[in-house]
Amino acid sequence: MSYSEHHLARHARLVADALLTDVDGASAIVVATADGFHLAQSGPRSVDPARLAAIVSSLAALGDAASRETGIGTPRCLVVDCSDGRLVVRCVEVQGEALIVVLLTDRSILLGLALNSLAKAEQLMNAA
Amino acid sequence: MNAMVSHKIVFTGTPGAGKTTAIAALSDKPPVLTDVRNTDASLGKERTTVGLDFGEVDLGDGQSVRLLGTPGQLRFEFMWQIIATDALGLVILIDNSRPDPLADLATYLDAYEALLPSMNCAVGVGRTLECPLPTLDDFADALAARGWVFPVLAVDVRERDDVLMLVDTVLAQAETRI
Repeated sequence: MSYSEHHLARHARLVADALLTDVDGASAIVVATADGFHLAQSGPRSVDPARLAAIVSSLAALGDAASRETGIGTPRCLVVDCSDGRLVVRCVEVQGEALIVVLLTDRSILLGLALNSLAKAEQLMNAA
Repeated sequence: MNAMVSHKIVFTGTPGAGKTTAIAALSDKPPVLTDVRNTDASLGKERTTVGLDFGEVDLGDGQSVRLLGTPGQLRFEFMWQIIATDALGLVILIDNSRPDPLADLATYLDAYEALLPSMNCAVGVGRTLECPLPTLDDFADALAARGWVFPVLAVDVRERDDVLMLVDTVLAQAETRI
């Protein structure tokens, strides 16, 4: 199966484009399967979507393991907060399938707004 | 009171070779797993590790081993290096039922080439009863051709004693280096 033909690839492209429009300061968006294959990307910043998809898949799985270990419920977001930007990772479920949405931003955007936009993105994918 | 000595041994190898199973077989406690639903039909399995596996076994005599498993797929190569940092040893698991097990071995030797001179290593070959070729000697020859001499053992990673033998082999090499 080509991941461009994945049954949720259209949903992924929709949300990647929507986030780019919705979030000022977004420089790249990547949507990936939970096991690290990229489904869609958007944004002006050059990233290797295949590599980033694999990395955030590991991050999300480690976040899930940490939440299980500490009993704090289902992971929603992970944030890699850096000097020149943020990587905000949202674990979503679309049609029963776990996906990962990654939002790369500069530091001008408030984290709460980014989290809110990612929550809306999950709703958008499930409504599509 | 003597302090507990804790060693770190990394299990790597192809998807389906049994890294998660091996760690679960040996760990004293249920291991930490980071497996997710697999969407790659070519792997032929329901779930796959994308982060790491972690288990721990108390060997007695004040020694324990932390067992870390890598994801198998090449796209997770960045995790291979992270997980192997400061490890005492490396266990490469090979699934002999795959199309080219010797090429699989070469993939992991290449990936860990920079670390191998300072690591202790063992190769565990699974499913040798169903798939006897390549033989263990073939694997040893492939290692020797690259200048490595590591123990190559036939293993069933579901069997705790087999996994313990791999760990013991790595620890024995470490002893000889002291």
